[in-house]
Amino acid sequence: MTGAVPRRRFRLAPYIALASRAMAREATYRFDVFGSVASVLVRLYLLKMVWTALYAHNVSPSELPLHAIITYSAVALLMGLVMDIDQTRALHDRLHDGSIVTDFLKPISVPLGFFADGTGEVLFHAALIVPSLILALLFVHIDVPSAATVVVFALSFILGYLVGFWINFILNCSAFWTLEVSGVQLIVTWLTDLLGGEIIPLVIFPVVLQKIVFVLPFAAMFSTPLLIYVGVIPPAGWPAALGVQLAWALGLGGLATLLWRAGARRIVVQGG
Amino acid sequence: MAIIEAVDLRKVFRSVVREPGLGGAVKALFSRQVEETVAVDAVTFTLEPGELVGYLGPNGAGKSTTIKMLTGILVPTSGLLRVAGLVPSSRRQDNAQNIGVVFGQRSQLYWDLPLRESFALLRAIYDIPADRYRTNMKAFAELLDLERFLDTPVRQLSLGERMRGDFAAAMLHDPRIVYLDEPTIGLDVIAKEAIRTFVGEINRERGTTVILTTHDLADVERLARRVILIDKGAVIYDGPLERLREEYGTHRTLVVTLARPYEAVEVAGATVESREGNVVRLRFERRQTSAEALIRQVMNDFEISDLQIIEPDIDGIVRRIYVEGYADGAGTPS
Repeated sequence: MTGAVPRRRFRLAPYIALASRAMAREATYRFDVFGSVASVLVRLYLLKMVWTALYAHNVSPSELPLHAIITYSAVALLMGLVMDIDQTRALHDRLHDGSIVTDFLKPISVPLGFFADGTGEVLFHAALIVPSLILALLFVHIDVPSAATVVVFALSFILGYLVGFWINFILNCSAFWTLEVSGVQLIVTWLTDLLGGEIIPLVIFPVVLQKIVFVLPFAAMFSTPLLIYVGVIPPAGWPAALGVQLAWALGLGGLATLLWRAGARRIVVQGG
Repeated sequence: MAIIEAVDLRKVFRSVVREPGLGGAVKALFSRQVEETVAVDAVTFTLEPGELVGYLGPNGAGKSTTIKMLTGILVPTSGLLRVAGLVPSSRRQDNAQNIGVVFGQRSQLYWDLPLRESFALLRAIYDIPADRYRTNMKAFAELLDLERFLDTPVRQLSLGERMRGDFAAAMLHDPRIVYLDEPTIGLDVIAKEAIRTFVGEINRERGTTVILTTHDLADVERLARRVILIDKGAVIYDGPLERLREEYGTHRTLVVTLARPYEAVEVAGATVESREGNVVRLRFERRQTSAEALIRQVMNDFEISDLQIIEPDIDGIVRRIYVEGYADGAGTPS
């Protein structure tokens, strides 16, 4: 009997609208182009100073000569412009104040709606990459690798974004169980900063530690695309590196889906 | 054919029993002592397309739980529910396209966007055809007087303006059914009136089916011909508002203003409801005591300066049913 009413087909338009809404929102407040670009410039300059000073007094690691590590850090900084955004914070907030109920009243997939919103936010901030990249090229003279490397780097960057998105989503899902996770969130942020390779390249870690950090998902976020960019991962290693990233993206995506389902069931069974 | 069909609808919430304090919280992690609360118990009703029904009950009676099941965000524990041919909880997204919801306590508008942009976003979400969107926007802007604040971010709107925006947002996609959950709560008289006129118009002109839950019985008197009363999760009355008034509105109140102070005021056939200074409210049963006899007796016993008879309002009737339980017409829900 119920089958008599046809199921609606999937439409992309709502999600595009949600993403552009998020971009418009970012444009209204929380955003100051000049301030952000100035901050990028200062940080680029500082990291160049720090690495130059460190390399002057120590034996430089064979994998990363001074110029390579400055390139590495500058590109990491540019990636951080989009990777460091808490893009599913809205999920956490709406679960906490109960307004998630109104999201379930709309004829769209709720998690996909949050994905669209987060991606819109990220895309808006990605616009900062262009002026920042020009600054990086002008002031710290970062290396520009071959076209093939740039393409693989971009691919790896997207996979890294997905891994980061899922980790973030999983943390914010905790609000389904009203767990206070700001402590865990802080630890994860530190782990990402430290073990993700955003600040210190993982290849200069002690060998024992490297064995551990390279199999953690954090390395898939920053380290892998960056090592591809600076050539520490040679073309022969690309398939394996992207494979590990893909595995993490799928695995964490699966875990996030399970968590979401369990959480959503909690809402529909218990009423929030 | 009925547009909403609910048969023996039941919702039981299960929650883990937790003793107070830290010890209790730790214990709850290990023991799974589950407590069951019956929020809605065997609720049965049907609505025909175009009906406007007041769904009433005291706090905790199960009104909001019923609404949440109708919207598909809560899964019934048992019973049958069909809204416009769909089982809401198993077809949440399709059901969402058919319904509009207004919560008085919770806005569905996008906080950081001007109203106009919220509407544009809803247009994309509900896939509203361009001409329908234009027609509706024009009609609602006029009916709800939205034009003035269409470009103001929602967070800067007053409650009355925000509610008017919420109503327009809920109706923009021409839903066949609208659920209004305490839509006039906290509003001033003028805003309430604007909302009531709008709901009446939508119901009349567009044939939209409306379920209205409210504590403001003026909403019901103004809009609904049929009411469903629920208490402790069960339907205790389902029928015309008029019948309720006839069966339960049997008492009247005689307000007497005494010309000079009296120690005690006692009148046979009536009970003193309240007394403030020289103003005494006497309550009497229409069937037992005639107003004429009562007035004659009062004028005989006291020196008075004013008299007034107050007919029962729906508020008093409903309060009386909640306190005494529904008896007269019990077991005859239509």
